[in-house]
Amino acid sequence: MTFEMGPETRQVEAMWDVSTYNYRMDGTGIRLLTEGMKEKKLRGIRCGECGMVYMPGPSYCRKCFVDIDEVVEVKDTGTVMSYCVTMADVRGNPIEEFRISAMIQFDGADTWFVGTVTGVEWQDFKVGMRVKAVWVDEPAGSLSDIDRFEVITD
Amino acid sequence: MRNVAIIGVGYTPVFVSKRKDVNIVEMMSESVDAAFRNTGLTPDDIDAVTFGNMQTFEGLNLPHLWASEHIRALDKPVLRVSTGGTVGMSVLQAAYYYVASGVYDVVMATSWEKQSEGDSQVGLAGIVLPEAIAMVQHGMDLFGIKGLGFGGGGSTGAASYQAMSYLHHSGASPEHIDKMAALERSNAVLNPYAHLRKKTTVEDIQATQMVAYPLRFGHTCPTTDGATTCIVASEDMVKKLTDGNVAWITGVGYAASDPCTANFLEGQITDPAEQMPAKIAVEKAYKQAGIKDPCKEIDMCELYNGFAHQSLMWLEKLGVCKEGEAHQMLDAGALEIDGEMPTNASGGVFSTNAIGSSAMNRPAECALQIMRKIEGEHQIPKKIRKALSHGWGGLFQYVAVMILADEPAKS
Repeated sequence: MTFEMGPETRQVEAMWDVSTYNYRMDGTGIRLLTEGMKEKKLRGIRCGECGMVYMPGPSYCRKCFVDIDEVVEVKDTGTVMSYCVTMADVRGNPIEEFRISAMIQFDGADTWFVGTVTGVEWQDFKVGMRVKAVWVDEPAGSLSDIDRFEVITD
Repeated sequence: MRNVAIIGVGYTPVFVSKRKDVNIVEMMSESVDAAFRNTGLTPDDIDAVTFGNMQTFEGLNLPHLWASEHIRALDKPVLRVSTGGTVGMSVLQAAYYYVASGVYDVVMATSWEKQSEGDSQVGLAGIVLPEAIAMVQHGMDLFGIKGLGFGGGGSTGAASYQAMSYLHHSGASPEHIDKMAALERSNAVLNPYAHLRKKTTVEDIQATQMVAYPLRFGHTCPTTDGATTCIVASEDMVKKLTDGNVAWITGVGYAASDPCTANFLEGQITDPAEQMPAKIAVEKAYKQAGIKDPCKEIDMCELYNGFAHQSLMWLEKLGVCKEGEAHQMLDAGALEIDGEMPTNASGGVFSTNAIGSSAMNRPAECALQIMRKIEGEHQIPKKIRKALSHGWGGLFQYVAVMILADEPAKS
Protein backbone atom coordinates (compact mmCIF):
# COMPACT_ATOMS: atom_id res chain seq x y z
CA MET A 1 0.00 0.00 0.00
CA THR A 2 1.39 3.39 -0.85
CA PHE A 3 0.16 6.53 0.81
CA GLU A 4 1.90 9.83 0.34
CA MET A 5 1.27 12.41 3.01
CA GLY A 6 0.21 15.79 1.72
CA PRO A 7 2.05 19.08 2.34
CA GLU A 8 2.47 20.21 5.94
CA THR A 9 -0.25 22.57 7.14
CA ARG A 10 -0.10 25.49 9.57
CA GLN A 11 0.49 24.88 13.27
CA VAL A 12 -0.93 27.03 16.09
CA GLU A 13 0.29 26.71 19.66
CA ALA A 14 -1.93 26.86 22.74
CA MET A 15 -1.74 26.36 26.50
CA TRP A 16 -4.11 25.70 29.39
CA ASP A 17 -3.51 27.33 32.78
CA VAL A 18 -4.26 24.68 35.40
CA SER A 19 -3.76 27.10 38.31
CA THR A 20 -7.35 28.25 37.91
CA TYR A 21 -8.84 25.05 39.34
CA ASN A 22 -9.95 24.75 42.98
CA TYR A 23 -10.51 21.25 44.33
CA ARG A 24 -12.05 20.17 47.67
CA MET A 25 -10.37 17.22 49.37
CA ASP A 26 -11.15 15.08 52.40
CA GLY A 27 -7.83 15.26 54.24
CA THR A 28 -8.71 13.18 57.34
CA GLY A 29 -6.63 10.09 56.56
CA ILE A 30 -3.58 11.89 55.23
CA ARG A 31 -3.58 14.34 58.19
CA LEU A 32 -3.81 11.43 60.62
CA LEU A 33 -0.86 9.78 58.89
CA THR A 34 1.42 12.80 58.63
CA GLU A 35 0.62 14.06 62.18
CA GLY A 36 1.74 10.66 63.51
CA MET A 37 4.88 10.71 61.40
CA LYS A 38 6.09 13.68 63.51
CA GLU A 39 6.55 11.08 66.28
CA LYS A 40 7.79 8.40 63.85
CA LYS A 41 4.44 6.60 64.12
CA LEU A 42 2.35 5.29 61.22
CA ARG A 43 -1.44 5.32 61.62
CA GLY A 44 -4.16 3.92 59.42
CA ILE A 45 -7.94 3.58 59.62
CA ARG A 46 -9.61 0.19 60.05
CA CYS A 47 -12.97 -0.91 58.69
CA GLY A 48 -15.11 -2.50 61.41
CA GLU A 49 -16.95 -4.65 58.86
CA CYS A 50 -14.16 -6.29 56.81
CA GLY A 51 -11.09 -5.46 58.91
CA MET A 52 -9.28 -3.76 56.02
CA VAL A 53 -6.71 -1.24 57.25
CA TYR A 54 -6.22 1.73 54.94
CA MET A 55 -3.20 4.02 55.13
CA PRO A 56 -3.82 6.79 54.35
CA GLY A 57 -7.45 6.12 55.19
CA PRO A 58 -10.58 7.26 53.41
CA SER A 59 -13.61 8.18 55.53
CA TYR A 60 -15.51 5.11 54.33
CA CYS A 61 -14.54 1.56 53.36
CA ARG A 62 -14.36 1.16 49.61
CA LYS A 63 -15.34 -2.50 49.87
CA CYS A 64 -18.13 -2.33 52.49
CA PHE A 65 -19.30 1.26 51.83
CA VAL A 66 -19.64 2.03 55.54
CA ASP A 67 -18.15 4.97 57.48
CA ILE A 68 -14.86 4.10 59.18
CA ASP A 69 -12.93 5.96 61.88
CA GLU A 70 -11.09 3.37 64.02
CA VAL A 71 -7.45 4.51 64.20
CA VAL A 72 -4.85 1.72 64.30
CA GLU A 73 -1.06 1.72 64.61
CA VAL A 74 0.86 0.35 61.63
CA LYS A 75 4.47 -0.86 61.90
CA ASP A 76 7.28 0.76 59.92
CA THR A 77 8.35 -2.63 58.58
CA GLY A 78 6.78 -4.25 55.56
CA THR A 79 6.90 -6.67 52.64
CA VAL A 80 7.89 -5.92 49.05
CA MET A 81 4.84 -6.65 46.85
CA SER A 82 6.48 -5.53 43.59
CA TYR A 83 9.33 -3.30 42.50
CA CYS A 84 11.18 -1.81 39.58
CA VAL A 85 14.73 -0.58 39.09
CA THR A 86 15.00 2.81 37.44
CA MET A 87 17.89 2.82 34.97
CA ALA A 88 16.99 5.82 32.79
CA ASP A 89 15.78 9.37 33.38
CA VAL A 90 12.38 10.59 32.21
CA ARG A 91 13.85 11.34 28.78
CA GLY A 92 15.12 7.78 28.49
CA ASN A 93 18.82 8.57 28.94
CA PRO A 94 20.79 6.04 31.00
CA ILE A 95 21.56 7.07 34.60
CA GLU A 96 24.67 6.23 36.61
CA GLU A 97 23.08 5.12 39.88
CA PHE A 98 20.26 2.64 39.50
CA ARG A 99 17.40 3.13 41.95
CA ILE A 100 15.14 0.45 43.39
CA SER A 101 11.54 1.61 43.87
CA ALA A 102 9.42 -0.90 45.74
CA MET A 103 5.71 -1.22 46.38
CA ILE A 104 5.61 -1.95 50.09
CA GLN A 105 2.79 -3.25 52.24
CA PHE A 106 3.46 -2.11 55.81
CA ASP A 107 2.86 -4.66 58.56
CA GLY A 108 -0.62 -4.03 59.91
CA ALA A 109 -1.92 -2.23 56.81
CA ASP A 110 -3.56 -3.51 53.62
CA THR A 111 -2.56 -0.62 51.38
CA TRP A 112 0.67 -0.26 49.42
CA PHE A 113 3.11 2.64 49.27
CA VAL A 114 6.09 3.22 47.00
CA GLY A 115 9.49 3.94 48.50
CA THR A 116 13.16 3.81 47.55
CA VAL A 117 15.18 0.87 48.89
CA THR A 118 18.94 1.30 49.44
CA GLY A 119 21.81 -0.84 50.67
CA VAL A 120 21.12 -3.81 48.39
CA GLU A 121 22.32 -4.72 44.88
CA TRP A 122 19.41 -4.56 42.45
CA GLN A 123 20.21 -8.03 41.12
CA ASP A 124 19.72 -9.45 44.64
CA PHE A 125 16.41 -7.68 45.26
CA LYS A 126 13.24 -9.83 45.11
CA VAL A 127 9.47 -9.67 45.55
CA GLY A 128 8.60 -10.85 49.07
CA MET A 129 11.68 -9.35 50.74
CA ARG A 130 11.23 -7.64 54.10
CA VAL A 131 12.10 -3.96 54.50
CA LYS A 132 12.21 -1.36 57.29
CA ALA A 133 11.70 2.39 57.04
CA VAL A 134 14.70 4.66 57.65
CA TRP A 135 13.39 7.85 59.27
CA VAL A 136 14.93 11.32 58.95
CA ASP A 137 16.53 12.69 62.14
CA GLU A 138 14.02 15.46 62.66
CA PRO A 139 10.58 14.50 61.38
CA ALA A 140 8.30 17.40 60.52
CA GLY A 141 4.96 15.70 59.86
CA SER A 142 5.57 15.01 56.19
CA LEU A 143 5.51 11.97 53.92
CA SER A 144 9.23 12.64 53.46
CA ASP A 145 9.88 11.92 57.16
CA ILE A 146 10.55 8.37 55.97
CA ASP A 147 13.65 8.91 53.87
CA ARG A 148 14.03 5.42 52.38
CA PHE A 149 13.89 1.71 53.19
CA GLU A 150 16.49 -0.94 53.92
CA VAL A 151 16.24 -4.70 53.61
CA ILE A 152 15.91 -6.60 56.91
CA THR A 153 15.90 -10.25 57.90
CA ASP A 154 13.23 -10.91 60.53
CA MET B 1 -31.73 -8.73 22.41
CA ARG B 2 -31.13 -8.63 18.67
CA ASN B 3 -28.06 -10.05 16.93
CA VAL B 4 -25.55 -7.41 15.84
CA ALA B 5 -22.65 -7.62 13.37
CA ILE B 6 -19.69 -5.48 12.37
CA ILE B 7 -20.30 -5.10 8.64
CA GLY B 8 -17.31 -2.95 7.77
CA VAL B 9 -14.18 -1.22 9.04
CA GLY B 10 -12.40 1.91 7.91
CA TYR B 11 -8.91 3.00 8.94
CA THR B 12 -7.02 6.20 8.19
CA PRO B 13 -4.64 5.45 5.28
CA VAL B 14 -1.73 5.34 7.72
CA PHE B 15 -1.03 5.27 11.45
CA VAL B 16 2.12 7.36 12.04
CA SER B 17 3.76 9.61 14.65
CA LYS B 18 2.76 12.87 13.02
CA ARG B 19 0.11 13.61 10.43
CA LYS B 20 1.25 17.12 9.62
CA ASP B 21 -0.87 17.24 6.46
CA VAL B 22 -4.33 17.05 8.06
CA ASN B 23 -6.05 18.45 11.14
CA ILE B 24 -8.02 16.37 13.64
CA VAL B 25 -11.40 16.40 11.90
CA GLU B 26 -9.85 15.81 8.47
CA MET B 27 -8.08 12.77 9.90
CA MET B 28 -11.33 11.42 11.43
CA SER B 29 -13.16 11.89 8.15
CA GLU B 30 -10.57 9.74 6.36
CA SER B 31 -11.55 6.71 8.46
CA VAL B 32 -15.28 7.45 8.01
CA ASP B 33 -14.82 7.69 4.23
CA ALA B 34 -12.89 4.41 4.25
CA ALA B 35 -15.72 2.68 6.15
CA PHE B 36 -18.27 3.90 3.60
CA ARG B 37 -15.97 2.90 0.73
CA ASN B 38 -15.43 -0.58 2.19
CA THR B 39 -19.15 -1.22 2.83
CA GLY B 40 -20.66 0.58 -0.15
CA LEU B 41 -22.94 2.41 2.30
CA THR B 42 -23.66 6.14 2.29
CA PRO B 43 -24.38 8.48 5.22
CA ASP B 44 -28.10 8.03 4.47
CA ASP B 45 -27.82 4.38 5.57
CA ILE B 46 -26.62 5.39 9.06
CA ASP B 47 -29.21 5.88 11.83
CA ALA B 48 -26.91 7.10 14.58
CA VAL B 49 -23.25 7.75 15.37
CA THR B 50 -21.14 6.97 18.42
CA PHE B 51 -17.79 8.60 18.77
CA GLY B 52 -14.92 9.28 21.16
CA ASN B 53 -11.26 9.67 22.06
CA MET B 54 -9.06 10.23 25.12
CA GLN B 55 -10.50 13.18 26.98
CA THR B 56 -7.96 16.05 27.35
CA PHE B 57 -5.12 14.41 25.38
CA GLU B 58 -5.33 17.12 22.71
CA GLY B 59 -6.65 19.67 25.22
CA LEU B 60 -9.87 20.00 23.20
CA ASN B 61 -13.17 19.48 24.99
CA LEU B 62 -16.56 18.21 23.79
CA PRO B 63 -15.43 16.97 20.36
CA HIS B 64 -18.98 15.93 19.41
CA LEU B 65 -19.83 19.64 19.30
CA TRP B 66 -17.30 20.48 16.60
CA ALA B 67 -16.72 17.20 14.78
CA SER B 68 -20.20 16.01 13.81
CA GLU B 69 -20.27 17.47 10.30
CA HIS B 70 -16.82 16.06 9.57
CA ILE B 71 -17.84 12.51 10.45
CA ARG B 72 -21.02 12.68 8.32
CA ALA B 73 -23.17 12.80 11.44
CA LEU B 74 -25.12 16.02 10.82
CA ASP B 75 -28.82 15.68 11.66
CA LYS B 76 -28.19 12.32 13.34
CA PRO B 77 -28.05 11.37 17.03
CA VAL B 78 -24.39 11.63 18.06
CA LEU B 79 -23.39 9.96 21.32
CA ARG B 80 -19.92 10.85 22.54
CA VAL B 81 -18.27 8.31 24.84
CA SER B 82 -15.11 8.83 26.88
CA THR B 83 -13.70 6.02 29.01
CA GLY B 84 -9.91 6.41 28.72
CA GLY B 85 -7.83 3.64 27.15
CA THR B 86 -10.91 1.50 26.58
CA VAL B 87 -12.75 4.28 24.76
CA GLY B 88 -12.49 2.74 21.28
CA MET B 89 -14.23 -0.40 22.46
CA SER B 90 -16.72 1.62 24.54
CA VAL B 91 -17.68 3.58 21.43
CA LEU B 92 -18.23 0.30 19.59
CA GLN B 93 -20.11 -1.24 22.53
CA ALA B 94 -22.38 1.83 22.63
CA ALA B 95 -23.15 1.24 18.94
CA TYR B 96 -23.78 -2.42 19.76
CA TYR B 97 -26.20 -1.49 22.59
CA TYR B 98 -28.11 0.81 20.21
CA VAL B 99 -28.63 -1.97 17.68
CA ALA B 100 -29.02 -4.92 20.09
CA SER B 101 -31.72 -3.01 21.97
CA GLY B 102 -33.67 -2.27 18.79
CA VAL B 103 -33.35 1.50 19.09
CA TYR B 104 -31.45 1.79 15.79
CA ASP B 105 -30.62 -0.60 12.94
CA VAL B 106 -27.34 0.71 11.51
CA VAL B 107 -24.87 2.64 13.65
CA MET B 108 -21.43 4.05 12.86
CA ALA B 109 -18.75 4.08 15.57
CA THR B 110 -15.69 6.31 15.15
CA SER B 111 -12.67 6.67 17.41
CA TRP B 112 -9.49 8.67 16.97
CA GLU B 113 -6.40 10.16 18.48
CA LYS B 114 -3.93 12.69 17.13
CA GLN B 115 -1.28 12.38 19.78
CA SER B 116 1.16 14.63 17.95
CA GLU B 117 -1.12 17.61 18.62
CA GLY B 118 -1.45 17.08 22.34
CA ASP B 119 0.34 16.08 25.48
CA SER B 120 -0.60 12.65 26.76
CA GLN B 121 1.31 13.14 30.03
CA VAL B 122 -0.77 16.24 30.82
CA GLY B 123 -3.90 14.28 29.89
CA LEU B 124 -2.91 11.50 32.25
CA ALA B 125 -1.94 13.91 35.05
CA GLY B 126 -5.40 15.47 34.81
CA ILE B 127 -6.98 12.20 35.95
CA VAL B 128 -5.58 12.48 39.48
CA LEU B 129 -4.54 16.14 39.70
CA PRO B 130 -6.30 17.09 42.98
CA GLU B 131 -5.07 14.01 44.85
CA ALA B 132 -1.53 14.34 43.52
CA ILE B 133 -1.29 18.02 44.47
CA ALA B 134 -2.67 17.31 47.95
CA MET B 135 -0.13 14.54 48.49
CA VAL B 136 2.74 16.76 47.28
CA GLN B 137 1.57 19.36 49.82
CA HIS B 138 1.88 16.62 52.45
CA GLY B 139 5.49 16.01 51.47
CA MET B 140 5.18 13.29 48.81
CA ASP B 141 7.99 13.26 46.28
CA LEU B 142 6.22 12.82 42.93
CA PHE B 143 9.24 11.00 41.52
CA GLY B 144 9.30 8.54 44.40
CA ILE B 145 12.98 9.10 45.10
CA LYS B 146 12.59 10.25 48.69
CA GLY B 147 10.02 9.43 51.31
CA LEU B 148 6.66 7.77 50.83
CA GLY B 149 5.64 8.42 47.29
CA PHE B 150 3.65 7.14 44.49
CA GLY B 151 5.87 7.97 41.57
CA GLY B 152 8.94 6.02 40.59
CA GLY B 153 9.27 3.72 37.66
CA GLY B 154 10.62 6.36 35.30
CA SER B 155 8.66 6.94 32.12
CA THR B 156 7.17 3.45 32.13
CA GLY B 157 5.56 4.33 35.46
CA ALA B 158 3.36 1.83 37.21
CA ALA B 159 3.58 -0.62 34.28
CA SER B 160 6.96 -1.70 35.64
CA TYR B 161 5.42 -2.73 38.97
CA GLN B 162 2.71 -4.61 37.08
CA ALA B 163 5.31 -6.35 34.93
CA MET B 164 7.43 -7.36 37.92
CA SER B 165 4.46 -8.69 39.86
CA TYR B 166 3.31 -10.59 36.76
CA LEU B 167 6.77 -12.15 36.24
CA HIS B 168 6.94 -13.10 39.94
CA HIS B 169 3.57 -14.85 39.95
CA SER B 170 3.67 -16.42 36.46
CA GLY B 171 7.22 -17.76 36.40
CA ALA B 172 7.90 -15.96 33.11
CA SER B 173 11.31 -14.27 32.71
CA PRO B 174 12.21 -10.79 31.41
CA GLU B 175 13.47 -12.57 28.27
CA HIS B 176 9.89 -13.67 27.57
CA ILE B 177 8.89 -10.00 27.44
CA ASP B 178 11.71 -9.44 24.89
CA LYS B 179 10.45 -12.37 22.85
CA MET B 180 6.80 -11.24 22.90
CA ALA B 181 7.91 -7.73 21.89
CA ALA B 182 9.92 -9.05 18.93
CA LEU B 183 7.01 -11.25 17.81
CA GLU B 184 4.52 -8.39 17.79
CA ARG B 185 6.91 -5.95 16.09
CA SER B 186 7.49 -8.60 13.42
CA ASN B 187 3.72 -8.98 12.97
CA ALA B 188 3.42 -5.20 12.60
CA VAL B 189 5.77 -5.31 9.60
CA LEU B 190 3.05 -7.27 7.77
CA ASN B 191 0.27 -4.82 8.68
CA PRO B 192 0.02 -1.70 6.47
CA TYR B 193 -2.01 0.03 9.21
CA ALA B 194 0.63 -0.53 11.88
CA HIS B 195 2.85 2.35 13.03
CA LEU B 196 6.21 0.74 13.92
CA ARG B 197 7.00 -1.44 10.92
CA LYS B 198 10.64 -2.38 11.21
CA LYS B 199 11.75 -6.00 11.28
CA THR B 200 12.78 -6.53 14.90
CA THR B 201 14.60 -9.45 16.51
CA VAL B 202 14.83 -10.43 20.16
CA GLU B 203 18.42 -9.12 20.07
CA ASP B 204 17.18 -5.75 18.73
CA ILE B 205 14.76 -5.50 21.67
CA GLN B 206 17.47 -6.48 24.15
CA ALA B 207 19.74 -3.76 22.77
CA THR B 208 17.26 -1.03 23.77
CA GLN B 209 17.71 1.00 26.95
CA MET B 210 16.38 -0.55 30.16
CA VAL B 211 14.05 2.17 31.48
CA ALA B 212 12.72 0.64 34.69
CA TYR B 213 13.69 -2.99 35.07
CA PRO B 214 12.05 -5.25 33.98
CA LEU B 215 10.76 -2.90 31.22
CA ARG B 216 12.96 -1.65 28.37
CA PHE B 217 12.33 1.10 25.85
CA GLY B 218 11.70 -1.74 23.38
CA HIS B 219 8.82 -3.00 25.55
CA THR B 220 6.76 0.17 25.22
CA CYS B 221 4.19 1.37 22.69
CA PRO B 222 4.59 4.40 20.40
CA THR B 223 2.39 7.50 20.29
CA THR B 224 0.39 7.58 17.07
CA ASP B 225 -1.97 9.66 14.94
CA GLY B 226 -4.86 7.72 13.47
CA ALA B 227 -8.60 6.98 13.42
CA THR B 228 -10.85 3.96 13.02
CA THR B 229 -14.50 3.56 12.11
CA CYS B 230 -16.72 0.48 12.39
CA ILE B 231 -20.26 0.15 11.08
CA VAL B 232 -22.58 -2.23 12.94
CA ALA B 233 -25.98 -3.49 11.82
CA SER B 234 -28.91 -5.64 12.95
CA GLU B 235 -29.47 -9.11 11.46
CA ASP B 236 -32.21 -7.79 9.14
CA MET B 237 -29.97 -5.02 7.85
CA VAL B 238 -27.06 -7.45 7.41
CA LYS B 239 -29.32 -9.37 4.98
CA LYS B 240 -30.33 -6.17 3.22
CA LEU B 241 -27.01 -4.34 3.05
CA THR B 242 -24.30 -7.02 2.81
CA ASP B 243 -23.34 -10.28 1.12
CA GLY B 244 -23.42 -11.97 4.53
CA ASN B 245 -19.66 -11.85 5.09
CA VAL B 246 -19.75 -10.03 8.43
CA ALA B 247 -18.44 -10.54 11.97
CA TRP B 248 -21.07 -11.07 14.66
CA ILE B 249 -20.67 -9.53 18.10
CA THR B 250 -21.68 -12.46 20.28
CA GLY B 251 -20.52 -11.32 23.71
CA VAL B 252 -19.57 -8.12 25.51
CA GLY B 253 -18.26 -7.47 28.99
CA TYR B 254 -17.03 -4.54 31.02
CA ALA B 255 -15.72 -4.23 34.58
CA ALA B 256 -13.71 -1.92 36.83
CA SER B 257 -12.00 -2.47 40.17
CA ASP B 258 -10.48 0.04 42.54
CA PRO B 259 -7.57 2.01 41.08
CA CYS B 260 -4.34 0.01 41.28
CA THR B 261 -2.03 2.89 40.50
CA ALA B 262 -1.95 6.54 41.62
CA ASN B 263 -4.59 5.99 44.30
CA PHE B 264 -2.88 8.73 46.26
CA LEU B 265 -5.20 9.73 49.07
CA GLU B 266 -7.10 6.54 49.79
CA GLY B 267 -4.33 3.96 49.59
CA GLN B 268 -3.83 1.33 46.93
CA ILE B 269 -5.20 -2.07 47.93
CA THR B 270 -4.91 -4.02 44.68
CA ASP B 271 -1.96 -5.59 42.85
CA PRO B 272 -1.79 -4.00 39.37
CA ALA B 273 -1.14 -7.51 38.00
CA GLU B 274 -4.23 -9.04 39.61
CA GLN B 275 -6.68 -7.67 37.02
CA MET B 276 -9.85 -9.12 38.48
CA PRO B 277 -11.97 -6.88 36.16
CA ALA B 278 -10.57 -8.79 33.17
CA LYS B 279 -11.79 -12.07 34.65
CA ILE B 280 -15.22 -10.65 35.54
CA ALA B 281 -15.73 -8.96 32.15
CA VAL B 282 -14.61 -11.92 30.09
CA GLU B 283 -16.69 -14.45 32.05
CA LYS B 284 -19.78 -12.41 31.27
CA ALA B 285 -18.83 -12.18 27.59
CA TYR B 286 -18.04 -15.92 27.32
CA LYS B 287 -21.39 -16.76 28.92
CA GLN B 288 -23.28 -14.50 26.51
CA ALA B 289 -21.37 -15.99 23.56
CA GLY B 290 -22.02 -19.56 24.75
CA ILE B 291 -18.29 -20.24 25.10
CA LYS B 292 -17.61 -22.92 27.73
CA ASP B 293 -13.94 -23.72 27.10
CA PRO B 294 -12.18 -20.58 25.84
CA CYS B 295 -8.80 -22.37 25.66
CA LYS B 296 -10.23 -24.58 22.90
CA GLU B 297 -12.93 -22.40 21.39
CA ILE B 298 -11.15 -19.06 20.91
CA ASP B 299 -9.23 -19.06 17.60
CA MET B 300 -7.34 -15.76 17.95
CA CYS B 301 -6.85 -12.80 20.30
CA GLU B 302 -6.35 -9.08 19.85
CA LEU B 303 -5.27 -7.76 23.24
CA TYR B 304 -4.68 -4.23 24.47
CA ASN B 305 -1.00 -4.08 25.34
CA GLY B 306 0.64 -0.73 25.95
CA PHE B 307 3.58 -2.77 27.21
CA ALA B 308 4.85 -6.09 25.88
CA HIS B 309 4.43 -8.11 29.11
CA GLN B 310 0.70 -7.42 29.00
CA SER B 311 0.01 -9.72 26.03
CA LEU B 312 1.17 -12.66 28.12
CA MET B 313 -0.64 -11.42 31.22
CA TRP B 314 -3.96 -10.91 29.41
CA LEU B 315 -3.92 -14.36 27.84
CA GLU B 316 -3.97 -15.74 31.38
CA LYS B 317 -6.36 -13.23 32.94
CA LEU B 318 -8.81 -13.64 30.06
CA GLY B 319 -8.89 -17.41 30.45
CA VAL B 320 -7.33 -18.21 27.07
CA CYS B 321 -4.77 -20.27 28.97
CA LYS B 322 -4.10 -21.12 32.61
CA GLU B 323 -2.12 -18.79 34.91
CA GLY B 324 1.58 -19.23 34.23
CA GLU B 325 1.09 -20.88 30.83
CA ALA B 326 1.30 -17.92 28.46
CA HIS B 327 5.10 -17.82 28.27
CA GLN B 328 5.11 -21.56 27.57
CA MET B 329 2.70 -20.95 24.67
CA LEU B 330 5.05 -18.22 23.43
CA ASP B 331 8.05 -20.59 23.61
CA ALA B 332 6.06 -23.26 21.74
CA GLY B 333 5.25 -20.84 18.90
CA ALA B 334 1.50 -20.95 19.64
CA LEU B 335 1.13 -17.14 19.63
CA GLU B 336 2.52 -16.65 16.12
CA ILE B 337 0.25 -15.83 13.16
CA ASP B 338 0.24 -19.46 12.04
CA GLY B 339 0.19 -20.83 15.61
CA GLU B 340 -2.64 -22.32 17.65
CA MET B 341 -3.55 -19.04 19.33
CA PRO B 342 -2.47 -16.16 17.09
CA THR B 343 -2.12 -13.18 19.42
CA ASN B 344 -1.94 -9.61 18.14
CA ALA B 345 -1.34 -10.59 14.52
CA SER B 346 -1.76 -6.86 13.87
CA GLY B 347 1.23 -5.97 16.05
CA GLY B 348 -1.08 -4.84 18.84
CA VAL B 349 -1.31 -1.53 20.66
CA PHE B 350 2.35 -2.18 21.34
CA SER B 351 3.12 -1.32 17.68
CA THR B 352 0.33 1.22 16.97
CA ASN B 353 -1.20 3.46 19.61
CA ALA B 354 -3.54 6.20 18.47
CA ILE B 355 -5.02 5.73 21.94
CA GLY B 356 -8.64 6.68 21.33
CA SER B 357 -8.82 4.14 18.51
CA SER B 358 -6.56 1.48 20.06
CA ALA B 359 -9.36 -0.40 21.81
CA MET B 360 -11.50 -0.26 18.65
CA ASN B 361 -8.70 -1.62 16.46
CA ARG B 362 -8.76 -4.82 18.53
CA PRO B 363 -12.35 -5.88 17.61
CA ALA B 364 -11.91 -4.30 14.15
CA GLU B 365 -8.91 -6.56 13.50
CA CYS B 366 -10.86 -9.60 14.79
CA ALA B 367 -13.75 -8.71 12.44
CA LEU B 368 -11.43 -8.33 9.43
CA GLN B 369 -9.73 -11.65 10.27
CA ILE B 370 -13.12 -13.43 10.47
CA MET B 371 -14.25 -11.80 7.19
CA ARG B 372 -10.83 -12.61 5.64
CA LYS B 373 -10.59 -8.99 4.53
CA ILE B 374 -7.20 -8.23 6.10
CA GLU B 375 -5.16 -5.90 3.89
CA GLY B 376 -1.48 -6.69 4.06
CA GLU B 377 0.05 -10.02 4.98
CA HIS B 378 -1.09 -10.65 8.53
CA GLN B 379 -4.20 -12.65 7.61
CA ILE B 380 -4.28 -15.70 9.90
CA PRO B 381 -4.17 -18.81 7.68
CA LYS B 382 -6.66 -20.92 9.65
CA LYS B 383 -10.38 -20.20 9.61
CA ILE B 384 -11.39 -17.93 12.48
CA ARG B 385 -14.73 -18.84 14.04
CA LYS B 386 -14.44 -17.10 17.41
CA ALA B 387 -12.14 -14.22 18.29
CA LEU B 388 -11.46 -12.43 21.56
CA SER B 389 -10.80 -8.69 21.63
CA HIS B 390 -9.92 -6.66 24.69
CA GLY B 391 -9.44 -3.09 25.84
CA TRP B 392 -7.71 -1.84 28.97
CA GLY B 393 -7.04 1.45 30.67
CA GLY B 394 -8.14 3.71 33.49
CA LEU B 395 -5.99 3.57 36.59
CA PHE B 396 -4.87 0.06 35.61
CA GLN B 397 -8.32 -1.27 36.55
CA TYR B 398 -10.74 -0.73 33.68
CA VAL B 399 -11.37 -3.58 31.21
CA ALA B 400 -13.64 -4.09 28.21
CA VAL B 401 -13.98 -7.26 26.14
CA MET B 402 -15.84 -8.21 22.98
CA ILE B 403 -16.22 -11.64 21.39
CA LEU B 404 -16.65 -11.81 17.64
CA ALA B 405 -17.75 -14.82 15.62
CA ASP B 406 -18.49 -15.97 12.09
CA GLU B 407 -22.06 -16.84 13.07
CA PRO B 408 -24.65 -15.02 15.16
CA ALA B 409 -25.25 -16.25 18.70
CA LYS B 410 -28.02 -18.82 18.98
CA SER B 411 -30.67 -17.52 21.35
